[in-house]
Amino acid sequence: KKCVISNLSILDDPDLKDIDPAVLKHCHAAAATCILEAGKHKADKSAISTCLEDCKLDRERIEEFCTEYQKNEDALEIILGSIGRSPLHITDVSWRLEYQIKTNQLHKTYQPSYLVTLNVENSDSGSHPDVSFSCTMEQLQDLVGKLKDAAKSLERATQM
Amino acid sequence: MLLVLSEEQREHLGCLPRLGDAGKLGVGVDAVQHGVEALTYLLTESSKLAISEIDFQDSVHVLGFSDELNKLLLQLYLDNRKEIRSILSELAPKLPSYHNLEWRLDVQLASRSLRQQIKPAMTIKLHLNQNGDQTAQVLQTDPSTLLHLIQQLEQALGEMKTNHCRRIVRNMK
Repeated sequence: KKCVISNLSILDDPDLKDIDPAVLKHCHAAAATCILEAGKHKADKSAISTCLEDCKLDRERIEEFCTEYQKNEDALEIILGSIGRSPLHITDVSWRLEYQIKTNQLHKTYQPSYLVTLNVENSDSGSHPDVSFSCTMEQLQDLVGKLKDAAKSLERATQM
Repeated sequence: MLLVLSEEQREHLGCLPRLGDAGKLGVGVDAVQHGVEALTYLLTESSKLAISEIDFQDSVHVLGFSDELNKLLLQLYLDNRKEIRSILSELAPKLPSYHNLEWRLDVQLASRSLRQQIKPAMTIKLHLNQNGDQTAQVLQTDPSTLLHLIQQLEQALGEMKTNHCRRIVRNMK
């Protein structure tokens, strides 16, 4: 599972060396939790401010926190959105067209044949063996036809 | 192209005319088996090579059978060669082959990590055949990749119509 909270490099920060490491860890965890919750619910500036006010932070700190948060808001949304399970994700396709001439069992076959490979990715581990299959011209036409239907329905849905 | 049969096979085939009376003449099981095997070889090889009628007739003529038998064998060949070829084509080494594709448009609205999403995704069920078994795999893709897939595969389909491919197909026959 992806770890959103980065390694605790704050413990090595020279500016913070005088602070008790345990306190530092707690602060880091609290800040991270606040950021993740804000990100999860797409909280706006006023919501975050209210929350931080309840935590007894002063105006200046709240302002700084919100500014920094807003700078990274979009990147945070992308990361949070990418966490989760999903079926194997198709990222690309490659194809090969061949003309069959003969096999050791059958001569003069003379027909075109396609080899299609779908590059797929696993949401957890990233890579996954590709999905390959062969098909005739008619089968490929069927496949493409169905994909085009899917694309059309997508287009219609976006216009609703 | 002529079909060449070995001495042994010719002998076995030669037994065929007499097998109609097998029960009465008491011809051995072996002879019947050999006869059938030789006949099978004759038909399979002829189908495999897709030899013409004339070539088939010439090949069989060499065996010195009666005209009637020759005609019978030719008819047997013509009647069955298509089916034999179709069966032989199943023996070739193969990858899983395409059978069907089902799709479904989904929109993800929320997840444990992130609320208020609008994330469209196309879920696809790809049905493949391998060695008689059917498998189905569930895959997913996003709208832009879907359009990319369509574009790439349409290009693939268009290839057979290019001059290069047409020329090859013409010259292969």
